[in-house]
Amino acid sequence: MLDLLKSQLPTLITIAIALGAILTTCAYLIYIERKISAFMQDRVGPNRVGPLGLLQPLADGAKFLLKEDVIPGHVDKVLYLLAPCVAVFTAMLAFAVVPFGPVGDEPSWMRFIIAPDLDMGMVFIFAIGSLSVYGVVLGGWASNNKYSALGSLRASAQVVSYEIPLGMSILGVALVSGTLNLEQILAQQAKGGFLAWNVWTQPLACLIFFTASLAEANRLPFDLSECEQELVGGFHTEYSAMKFALFFLGEYTHMITIAFLMSVLFFGGWHSPLATAESAYPGAWAVKLGVLFAKVLLVILFIMVIRWTIPRFRFDQLMGLAWKVLIPLALGNVIALMVIRQFGLSLWWSTVASAVMFCIAGAISTNASRAALERARSPLATAG
Amino acid sequence: MSSFAPILVYILVLLGFVATNLILTHVIGPRRKTAVKDMPYESGMDPVGDARQPFDVKFYLVAILFLVFDVELLFLYPWATAAYVDSGGVPAELKNLMFAVMLVFMGTLAIAYIYAWKHGVFKWR
Repeated sequence: MLDLLKSQLPTLITIAIALGAILTTCAYLIYIERKISAFMQDRVGPNRVGPLGLLQPLADGAKFLLKEDVIPGHVDKVLYLLAPCVAVFTAMLAFAVVPFGPVGDEPSWMRFIIAPDLDMGMVFIFAIGSLSVYGVVLGGWASNNKYSALGSLRASAQVVSYEIPLGMSILGVALVSGTLNLEQILAQQAKGGFLAWNVWTQPLACLIFFTASLAEANRLPFDLSECEQELVGGFHTEYSAMKFALFFLGEYTHMITIAFLMSVLFFGGWHSPLATAESAYPGAWAVKLGVLFAKVLLVILFIMVIRWTIPRFRFDQLMGLAWKVLIPLALGNVIALMVIRQFGLSLWWSTVASAVMFCIAGAISTNASRAALERARSPLATAG
Repeated sequence: MSSFAPILVYILVLLGFVATNLILTHVIGPRRKTAVKDMPYESGMDPVGDARQPFDVKFYLVAILFLVFDVELLFLYPWATAAYVDSGGVPAELKNLMFAVMLVFMGTLAIAYIYAWKHGVFKWR
């Protein structure tokens, strides 16, 4: 028993560091998001608590704990309490296989990944990630509120639909690297150098993965499960205090995981001209760590800017995007990579295939929306 | 199996974290029940009827289609990791057969997809 505990000591330290980092990052991401929103809407943003409002996240955290924890009389109590737990639990568990630093360069008492050498890494993330829909569904159903019910109904259909393009876009990466282990996918890109980043050879897969994961995390422009204007808060209308904060924490953890996955799968992780796989100068690991975090932060900032740039989709458009655009594109991408690998062609043909498919999809959609506009303009216009 | 041990530890820590949060907010926060707080929040109107009503059959259709595609994806993962690796993957003499089989598999899927599209499963109105 003591042996087992001793062998898991680095794990415990890693978990402590990772969990603490995630919580702090989540708190400050909310601050950054509010500042960016303020910047994009020509406001000031939080500036009262501490210098530049930097202590705002701490104040918010304390407030979440001290506010009244309302459990309304009409809810299903067990499921109502379970829902936020599931939401935050699954979001954080998915982080277990994400390498958040240059694995192998770290001191021996910790690791830059919670569960190293897990060969089914990506499958684990998808399995746990799809469990997160339970948090939303349970929350909406248990609340027994019409807004919540509508929100969770939409969310379940949305998450379920975008799961498929998300999984398919990874198949291309798996075909090329022959593994689903995130560390090995990263190592292969780092070994091949700058031009071996997956984003160059599979830009379409990268785009599909990013779009679908935004939808998975219920971020704008896909946040139909919450949409403040029509559904108040959607599935979390009836939640307050820390239970509401847990839903929020889950969403932001999702965002962090997405950003890490984007940089590890497609943008070469810690690899950069500053610190390649060969560089062994002292402090190289710190440079690698910094590069990885910079990439992650860039992805997160991009997600936040998207929030204030693209308006929310209509529900039929949302489902149409998943089923009529992303799934055929993802399937085409897999078939293209399969053919390339079978006949031993250069991987750059995949870039060509991506560009061609992207142009075809663009042409078809432009045509379709123009036809819809024409129909709407005619005096005898009927819905659909 | 030992590579799953850290995940087990992580699960335990997370369960502790979640439980602590729930208990803390339950203990620390004040508690003043009123009749209005106990009502469902519907923008100030008194709620009419129950929230748990039958919903559109479209959602079931999406769920069924999801099952089809997701199971198919699960078949594809092992293939994708084993098909084109240098060692330990699919033997060289089976590569062409495998390629043909996968083409048939994806063709079948495409036919099912087109069938569903033609029958208006993807139309929301």
